[in-house]
Amino acid sequence: MSAAVPIPVIQLLQVLTVALGAPGIMGVIAKVEARLQGRRGPKVLQPYYDLAKLCRKETLAPEQASWFFLAAPLIAVAAYLTIPLLIPVLTTYPLPLGYMGDILGGGFLLALASFVIATAALETGSPYAQLGSSRAKTFSAITEPVVLFVVFTVALLTGTDLPYALAATVRSSAGQVVRPAHVLASAALFMVILHETGRIPVETHTGTNEFGMIEEARSFEHSGPYFALLKWGSMLKQLILFTILADVFVVPWGLASSQRLGAVLLAIVALLAKAAAVGCVVAVIDNSFAKLRLFKITEYASAAFLLAVLGVFTLYLGGG
Amino acid sequence: MNTALLAAGGTTSLQPPGIYQGAANVIAALMLLLEFGMLRQALIRDQVRLYAAQSALISVLAIVIAADRGLPDLYALAGLSGALKVVVVPLVLRRLLGVPVDEDSPGVAGSYTLSPASAVLASIGLAAFGFFTFGAFHISGPAAPALALAIAGAMVFVAFGLMIVRRDVASQAVGFFSLENAISLAALVVAAGLPLILETAFLFDLLVAVVVFGMLIRTHHGRAESMSTADLTGLRG
Repeated sequence: MSAAVPIPVIQLLQVLTVALGAPGIMGVIAKVEARLQGRRGPKVLQPYYDLAKLCRKETLAPEQASWFFLAAPLIAVAAYLTIPLLIPVLTTYPLPLGYMGDILGGGFLLALASFVIATAALETGSPYAQLGSSRAKTFSAITEPVVLFVVFTVALLTGTDLPYALAATVRSSAGQVVRPAHVLASAALFMVILHETGRIPVETHTGTNEFGMIEEARSFEHSGPYFALLKWGSMLKQLILFTILADVFVVPWGLASSQRLGAVLLAIVALLAKAAAVGCVVAVIDNSFAKLRLFKITEYASAAFLLAVLGVFTLYLGGG
Repeated sequence: MNTALLAAGGTTSLQPPGIYQGAANVIAALMLLLEFGMLRQALIRDQVRLYAAQSALISVLAIVIAADRGLPDLYALAGLSGALKVVVVPLVLRRLLGVPVDEDSPGVAGSYTLSPASAVLASIGLAAFGFFTFGAFHISGPAAPALALAIAGAMVFVAFGLMIVRRDVASQAVGFFSLENAISLAALVVAAGLPLILETAFLFDLLVAVVVFGMLIRTHHGRAESMSTADLTGLRG
């Protein structure tokens, strides 16, 4: 019989798991992708080394940039670290701070982080960074309706838009898993996640300079620890989105249902395993498709929109 | 209070349909998605493949319904419709359209009257119309739920949309054949116990359509030397 973990500690563990696990998931994806291409690939721990190296470098800022240029990475990471408090990361039961915000609250935080990074990129006056932020904002405006329809589906399914409630509903019976609305909304969400994390078919993740860059171009002018924060931020965002997909939509099993130490530790391992599994799927997609031309991204977004809209339609008749 | 909130969420939520109904609904939804896939697909070869996949799904649906309701007739129908629509019709269609495809064979990429994204958005509108009009009938057969019927309605409209927004004979043929798939879906939902002889008669109607379309495609290709139907609008003296 293992000891009970106090609730505030579990709450803290949710944040720590995401914060410390995120670079590892990035490393796993890079490794799997390299193996699929027949390369040996970087070490799984490589992203940690990269972040540590960047933290030791000096910081340079463009002359014209204001204080906001350096504050933006901090605000973004703070926003990303708040989200794990709102979503089921480790537990099936809601933690006290879990009701601070619903899915929309989490969406606002993600949007805030993306907004401050884009604004900081605009401050630099560098054409690449500005191009990246303007594209990122344009395309996120196009994918926003998809996210809204996914939220509508959740709201119709559960009567609330709390992530914990949806996870509980999905766990409640097998019939919930095969209902078309759920399948369609999950697929649409996955397509949005590919877009948001800057993966193929929207963007090449490991590129150097190129004209198709969107998210990756925004951090061109940052350096040193601030650049490390931005990189860490995008890893955090990736793990958070994977967690939402796995723990709320697709496989909300393996979470701790009690406060026992063993259950909580198991939940940490399960979460990282699930995120790594999603990462493997992403790596396979990265290797099997070509990047879309920039103006074809609207077609990709329209396909995701189709899935989400059909999800709501099917629910509307009550049979979905 | 937190758990009370969760419980309240649980009671106000819609109850899920059963496993069989859920599976039937998912298959119907997948068929609708493949219909949209045909709308977006630029190559004839891939359009025909999507059609074959859609036909395979309807056979699977027939098997699901047969297992659920204990209708052995439907197994025979599933086998027959699978052999015909997954194997024969795509083969005939590919031969007619001049496949094996070489590099510069006529793709249908340029045959859009709308851009692909707008075509999808317009078809979402059409699908919504079909969906809600058929849903308003409140017909639900014993075999599959009302939702699948509504999806069949949406598929009918999207198939018409496919034939309208694409200006090439291949898309119009594929659109017409998938229209037949939509109607088979509706038939399975509303009248799963229809006598086998009637269902097979429907299938052979499809064969007649394939022959007629085949002749039209041949004639058109022979005259216009292209797959595009845009040439048909010009009057000849």
